[in-house]
Amino acid sequence: MNRKPTLDELIGADTTGAERQRLQHVHELLLEAGPPPELSPELEAGPKLNMTMGKKRRGVVKQRAMALLAAAIVVFMIFVGGYVAHTPGGKSSGPRPVLAQALHGTKLAPNAEGTLEVWNASSGNWPMTLTAADLPKLPPRTYYEVYLVRHGRPWGSCGQFRVTSSNSQGVVRATLTAPYSLKKGDSWVVTRPGPSGMEPGPVVLRPAPATA
Amino acid sequence: MRKNDGDMEIAIEVPQPRLRAVPSEPAPPDDSVTDAELLARVGEHDREAFEMLYGRYIRPVFGLALRRLGDRGHAEDAVQEAFAAIWRSASTYRPERGAAGGWLYTVARNAIVDRLRRNGPAYDAELPELISHDPGPAQHAEDSDTAWRVHRALEELQPREREVIELAYWSGMSQSEVAEYLHLPLGTVKTRTRSGLAHLAAALEGELR
Repeated sequence: MNRKPTLDELIGADTTGAERQRLQHVHELLLEAGPPPELSPELEAGPKLNMTMGKKRRGVVKQRAMALLAAAIVVFMIFVGGYVAHTPGGKSSGPRPVLAQALHGTKLAPNAEGTLEVWNASSGNWPMTLTAADLPKLPPRTYYEVYLVRHGRPWGSCGQFRVTSSNSQGVVRATLTAPYSLKKGDSWVVTRPGPSGMEPGPVVLRPAPATA
Repeated sequence: MRKNDGDMEIAIEVPQPRLRAVPSEPAPPDDSVTDAELLARVGEHDREAFEMLYGRYIRPVFGLALRRLGDRGHAEDAVQEAFAAIWRSASTYRPERGAAGGWLYTVARNAIVDRLRRNGPAYDAELPELISHDPGPAQHAEDSDTAWRVHRALEELQPREREVIELAYWSGMSQSEVAEYLHLPLGTVKTRTRSGLAHLAAALEGELR
């Protein structure tokens, strides 16, 4: 299309002075700008949902990065603890755990990770150390509970612990006890409080597929 | 005139202007809310405000992307990214630092430039080994800015005014042909064209608030 309209053709010659100058300026801008682009039906239809998902996705990425960092800290703490304990020249050589169980978060705490170490029994009690990362903080006066699982069912409580905002990088370390005779195949889960506080609630950490 | 059996039918291809549909009862654009107010609401994740802002800026943003990228597919992708960037960063807009239109232009341009960089190697491979006589980057930037402002201002017009302006400037038709095409008296077309130009002047002088 080569034909360009003149301002006289569009508005006549009657308009003069400042008003004509205003319209002349707009006329020139329109010629310079060219036509607006034709929109595809997709663009014409309006904004797409994924345009407004960016922030959320970014939040999830940040959350995952924090969870990975916390998990790395857990692994590092376990590694350093084990190294110090088993190094001949180590200052604090102590007993080796007889069992270490890796724990993964359920849907209730998808980013949570943890490790449960069981130490040699003393007077029929098995000391345990739970290290967990990224468990959500619970309401006041409510606690997570560690349950011994036998034959696929919670068999007995091994103690409670809580997560506070002062836990470094969301990592909690708690000392617990299993006052039971352990058997082959026993495992542990971490639960939220049940409705009455007396029975296990929903599981937040459960054994990972491959246990150490 | 009756057509004889022996008459030869001649098909004349008349290019029809491509226009947006004009509603029979045109609703005036909702200019009671400024772009700055819309941006503030988008910053609080108001989807309705985002849709209104999209309606006002989709053509300027797409036009900018097309001029920079030269390919409709890439330009459409860049539009998605530009509006996603607007959604994400609207809360950072500060009215005291400048007009909302300028802020939107910067965010959209950055998203388009990012897309251009990602397309870089493919685009470089297609560059001809000839000295270009095209306008330089500064001229391109000025042209882009003009088109952005004008296309944004067009969105402020009543659909009836916008229709005659688009036909007058970009269809190749004379005013008489526009009148015939729209089945309107010539005087009505001239009146609408004149008022449309005056409204555009006001919108452009207001620098998009």
